[in-house]
Amino acid sequence: MIKAYANVAVIAAAFLSGCQSDEPEPAPLANGIIYCSEGNPASFNPQLVTSGTTVDATAAQLYDRLIDYDAEQQKFVPALAKRWETLDNGTRYRFHLREGVKFHTTSYFQPSRELTAEDVRFSFNRWLDETSLYHQVGGSYPFFRATGLDQLINKVVKIDKMTVDIVLNNADSSFLANLATDFAVILSAEYAQQLLIEERPGQIDALPIGTGPYRFESYRKDVLIRYSRHPGYWREGPGIEHLVYSITPNANKRMLKLVTGECDIIPYPLVSELQALNRDQLIVTDEVSPNVSFWAFNTEKEPFDDPLVRQALSHAINREAIIQTIYDGNAELAQSILPPTSWAYDDRGIQYQYDPEKAKRLLKEAGHSNLNINIWAMPVQRVYNPNARRMAELMQSDLAQIGVSASIVSYEWNTFRRRLSRGEHDTVLIGWYADNADPDNFFRPLLSCAAVATGGNRANWCHPGFDQLLYSAIATTVPEERKALYQSAQHLLNQQQPLLPIAHSKRFQAQQKNISGVELPPYGGINFRLATKDTAEEESQ
Amino acid sequence: MTRYLLGRLSVFIIAVFLLTVFSFSLNYLFPGDPITNMSGIRSFQSSYPLMVELRGGDQNLAIQYLSYLQHLFAGDWGLSLSNGTPVFADGIQHFMASIELILLALLVAVFFGLPLGVFAASRFRQRSDQTVISLAMVGYSIPVFWLAQLMILLFAIKLGWFPITGQINPLYGVEPQTGSILIDVFLSDSEYKAAALQDALNHIVLPVIILAIMPMMLLLRLMRNATQEMLQKPFVKAARARGLNEFRVLVKHAIPNAVQSVLQQTTLIFSLLLTNSIVVESIFNWPGMGNWLIRSIFERDYPTIQAAVLMFAFVILFFNLLVELYHGWRFPIVRHEQYATR
Repeated sequence: MIKAYANVAVIAAAFLSGCQSDEPEPAPLANGIIYCSEGNPASFNPQLVTSGTTVDATAAQLYDRLIDYDAEQQKFVPALAKRWETLDNGTRYRFHLREGVKFHTTSYFQPSRELTAEDVRFSFNRWLDETSLYHQVGGSYPFFRATGLDQLINKVVKIDKMTVDIVLNNADSSFLANLATDFAVILSAEYAQQLLIEERPGQIDALPIGTGPYRFESYRKDVLIRYSRHPGYWREGPGIEHLVYSITPNANKRMLKLVTGECDIIPYPLVSELQALNRDQLIVTDEVSPNVSFWAFNTEKEPFDDPLVRQALSHAINREAIIQTIYDGNAELAQSILPPTSWAYDDRGIQYQYDPEKAKRLLKEAGHSNLNINIWAMPVQRVYNPNARRMAELMQSDLAQIGVSASIVSYEWNTFRRRLSRGEHDTVLIGWYADNADPDNFFRPLLSCAAVATGGNRANWCHPGFDQLLYSAIATTVPEERKALYQSAQHLLNQQQPLLPIAHSKRFQAQQKNISGVELPPYGGINFRLATKDTAEEESQ
Repeated sequence: MTRYLLGRLSVFIIAVFLLTVFSFSLNYLFPGDPITNMSGIRSFQSSYPLMVELRGGDQNLAIQYLSYLQHLFAGDWGLSLSNGTPVFADGIQHFMASIELILLALLVAVFFGLPLGVFAASRFRQRSDQTVISLAMVGYSIPVFWLAQLMILLFAIKLGWFPITGQINPLYGVEPQTGSILIDVFLSDSEYKAAALQDALNHIVLPVIILAIMPMMLLLRLMRNATQEMLQKPFVKAARARGLNEFRVLVKHAIPNAVQSVLQQTTLIFSLLLTNSIVVESIFNWPGMGNWLIRSIFERDYPTIQAAVLMFAFVILFFNLLVELYHGWRFPIVRHEQYATR
């Protein structure tokens, strides 16, 4: 009888140990990475979207761009264009394409040729040329419209098989930065032609073909995206065979799946739960991403037209406390509207200290007492501001200390933005997330006089001198000159204070320790090009 | 028996008829265009006019209903509004995934529930009976979603034995064909079938156990009471008087009779499983009908909502019919009670 029990115990032990992964992982698991993304991609072509989820899922994995931006060296590096030159006083860029770049071979497309100038011309004309056959397929091209790239580029000319010229309407030094974004991808003209013959052009954005490090295998909405390594990739590719995006919108579940090992990497882990993670097996990386949250004063309204009042209110806010409370300390105090990672960043300006006494003095100087203002707090979460309403409450009590009473206003997000662009607010808590590495992206869309008209300038602040600085800065291509101009612009901003920069929040990512090479570049989506999985380490554990 | 069979069948057919009338009227009760709600083709799409013609959109309701039935029985349930795939084919896959989970849970419930019930009855009012029955009470009362959280915390997070989402690690590359993961693994052309199968089994353990607990405890209590009742009956006394030992009395006399009354509750247990499967599937991201229904509700995917409701209701009706027919065939007393026939 005792023997029988012993047998049962042995069988039970065998069963339980079978559930644990003591033995080396089977090959499919050792050669693959699972990324638990936060949502479905809207399309497999980043030209059509601005959503970060879609960019993360597609841009760096399926496609390449003409040039890339190296955030560490802060310069542009060759990608599909092996070199380029600027002609005609900066209104013509000539790109010499790399030879031997192969497109993906998949079950639905077998390329007969390598990358040529034709593919580049097709890819640009897709969003640029309204008469091109593919322009109407798939709808709008929001990134190119927002950055004005579709107005800037006059035409794309094929010079010979491997040379392309892009002709601009006027010189613009932010042009290259826009080309290096995740949106300016190169598609296959041959594939597009084949689809036209098969009369299903819409497939180009659903079953993608690119030159990137991974090729598309399958997609099931709400479940997963399956990619496999592109064997003929032109530069160093990943050390894994398969990449799976397991779609997991629930943040708690993403954390759990990371802990149970069902995810190798997760984006946006819950900041408040990061302490609870086991640091022996998991790594949390963060990146100050190019965003800023700010408090903008409506300078068209009394008394915010007076710089003294704006300075006074800025001194009244305890931003350190905000960063601790709202961001759990996972953000950097903003000294300028530009994040410190930008090459044009300048921290020698006037720094706004928390100083209620000075705030009171300035307010008296400006001739105001018992000020009544409202703070508009946006109703949604954004990377740059996880809780605007709570932030407004903190500021409310800060302002009360200098005798300013503030009321908090909030509407549904679309209504909020509509009323905001009509200038109905006194002050507003909002922010900005940059699309590219160029500092211009933080100034012109936010603070130029032109942006007052389009509603992007939340401070309704139009300063001719400031505008002059911005336009001189984009007209020149000499980096030192541009840097000097942007530094003067930041100085002017600090004096005028149309808005108070609050924080540059960090973007987080958590992953298993044995994964390496997965980059979270400051500009743009996650990049799996050099991803590897170190299985040896796991066996030894 | 024939009369009983026909009677049951006609009740079933009437119920299915009312069900289709209900689901047909849903197309009008949902907001938006009824033809879009039926077919998943939106009014700006080029095939819309054809859809209106095919589904009798310009004719009266009776004709529309008839064409609706035609499409329903032809397996043309329209396209999903959220991803454009045929709803019927999707539905079959989700149905198979759910049925796999439910049948395994039913198996576990019966396999452990009935013997434990008999055990409790044979130790009636003793310490072990009281322990088992209080455990059963706890197991039956604990909400499924809470139990799932506890089990996940213990077995997945603390011990790390089982994964918590999906049917299989996606890196095995097993694509759904039937929807039932164990069958799909066998059908797949993966080189690592054995490893994939073990992975799939690892994935299925937690959901099955959690789904099985409540019906298991219910079966346990039903079985205990039924067996106990049987043990009080005169024929058991007679059997004992004939000198049969307690084991034979249980196995030969009490259990077969007790099982009959418990089996009549199978429909109740099946609907319990089906309802709880919605919760369990949502927690474990199991791609079954429950998950499908909930997601379609969130996405206002009307053709899918309709299909999921239809499938759920049909499955319950059909299972009830099967159980009733089995009872009628196996236990003549049921037929006698209703129709006094043989």
